[in-house]
Amino acid sequence: MSLDVISAILVSGLVLGSVYALMASGLSLVWTTLGIFNFAHGAFMTVGAYIAWTASDQAGLGYGLAAGIALSVAVMIGLGIVLERVVVRPFYGQRDFLLITVMSTLAAMIVLQKGTQMIWGARLKQLAPIVPGKATLWRTTISAQETLIIVLAPIVLIALQLFLSRTRTGRGIRAVGQNPDAARLIGIDVSRLFYVTFALSAVLAALTGILLGSVRLLTPQFGDDPLVKALIIVIFGGLGSLNGTIVAAYAMGLVEAALTYAIGIYWTPSLIFLLLILVLLVRPQGLLGKVTR
Amino acid sequence: MTAPDTAPPAAADTAPDTAPDIALDVRDLRAGYDASDVLEGICLQVARDERVGLFGPNGHGKSTLLNTISRVIRPRAGRVAFMGEEIGQLPAQTIVARGLVHVPQANRLFPDMQILETLELSAYTPRARAAKDETLDRVLQLFPRLAERRRQACKTLSGGERQMLSIGVGLMSAPRMLMLDEPTLGLSPKLKDELAEAIAAISATGIPLLLVEQDIAFTLSLVDRMYLIDHGAISREVGRSGGVDHQEIMEMYFGTGEGA
Ligand SMILES: Nc1ncnc2c1ncn2[C@@H]1O[C@H](COP(=O)(O)OP(=O)(O)OP(=O)(O)O)[C@@H](O)[C@H]1O
Ligand SMILES: [Mg+2]
Repeated sequence: MSLDVISAILVSGLVLGSVYALMASGLSLVWTTLGIFNFAHGAFMTVGAYIAWTASDQAGLGYGLAAGIALSVAVMIGLGIVLERVVVRPFYGQRDFLLITVMSTLAAMIVLQKGTQMIWGARLKQLAPIVPGKATLWRTTISAQETLIIVLAPIVLIALQLFLSRTRTGRGIRAVGQNPDAARLIGIDVSRLFYVTFALSAVLAALTGILLGSVRLLTPQFGDDPLVKALIIVIFGGLGSLNGTIVAAYAMGLVEAALTYAIGIYWTPSLIFLLLILVLLVRPQGLLGKVTR
Repeated sequence: MTAPDTAPPAAADTAPDTAPDIALDVRDLRAGYDASDVLEGICLQVARDERVGLFGPNGHGKSTLLNTISRVIRPRAGRVAFMGEEIGQLPAQTIVARGLVHVPQANRLFPDMQILETLELSAYTPRARAAKDETLDRVLQLFPRLAERRRQACKTLSGGERQMLSIGVGLMSAPRMLMLDEPTLGLSPKLKDELAEAIAAISATGIPLLLVEQDIAFTLSLVDRMYLIDHGAISREVGRSGGVDHQEIMEMYFGTGEGA
């Protein structure tokens, strides 16, 4: 294998890993805090990107990318809160909470997807890149936007870690995930932190969508593949461990890049699943995971 | 709303307004889980300068009562007033903010958080945050062992350490009244003595206490008065005038309980 090939695999693995880490961290946060898998997380990514497109693109409102990002973030905070209220909260405390919310968030995903199709149509769209042009990393040339993704992901993830470990609200979110009753008894408004968590995760998904929306093309199914990958990553990384999730995201990106080079894009997804199953046979708790959430 | 005939005569249905010296006033409280009723109309009062014990066989609803008062679970009927204000309809976090703090039974707290982090977080309500540094000093003084282990995760604490942390967490919430649920569960006699001292010190600062305990000697060393709970209702009350008599308690416990 030449250095060029290694470089190409590493760089594209890093891009993929960054995207997955951003997606999966939001999914992981919702899992640890509320104890559900949010299947609408991919739709958050799609909708977030479309909203940014509408506000920014000349074919839309044409206010430019900054306005697009701002509007998208604002709308996603609202959408996150509404979704938590409508498809999660009514079932909280029920015996089959996890299974019911699998169905209800899947339903939300379908509604959001069909809504996207209805509002924006099936025609392909693309966001303008935040940074235009090309950049060369080591021996591989990628778009400047992809370089931005590589740089921005760790910054966002570190900010997320700091938020969770240093701020009152962040610590509160962790407390709610670890023991909601004990959290209530020290005066934490658990419902409010559920909203905050959902909104935060929706914003993370939208951010991923906005970053990726100039690299890939926007379709109503834009978020499907990242959602599936993020789900695998959250399980793979060990449920309930944000660090495990992040490590798993980058591992998945690199493995996917290497497999795609070695055996092509056709069989790669199947092999990734096979790999996941093998790892879980050896380590049922995932890479860095705990046994329970 | 009629009180069941097992209710103590002091429950005075005829005086719905709480006297000004009452910290906690519980009237005909009913609660349970799914199809089962656990509390069958509890009436009890704790005065502002009082330390009250709650005593009874396993599974008769002591923890359920505290959980209902602090709104971890929803009451089905009845009223709860704290410092003269109705709190029965308030959410748990507001009750804590008002100063009624519940230290639950065998609280495993936040497994992956460190001691210090847990204590800091527990000063969560605005009132608690205002006094955070002072209270933290006090808690670490009261429980030096927590100070030694401030970076240790909750899940790795011993039973005694966890119990100390639970009480410390309660103190960090700036209580105007404390409800402690079996603080000595599973502890050695030596640790029990240490905890009794700490609890006495806390209560000496003027914080009224509702103490659920299975250890009679421990309870007697701390309370002015006791209720016996039996099948979800208060069946007896002892020691309103004068101290609590050990003999009386033994009779009450082994006489009406379903065998300890
Ligand atoms: N979460 C729950 N779901 C269903 N039933 C419960 C629940 N918690 C307690 N119970 C039941 O309610 C009854 C009273 O329990 P509770 O914990 O209040 O008793 P307790 O007096 O505190 O007992 P102990 O001295 O053992 O702590 C018991 O029959 C118990 O099985
Ligand atoms: Mg109990």
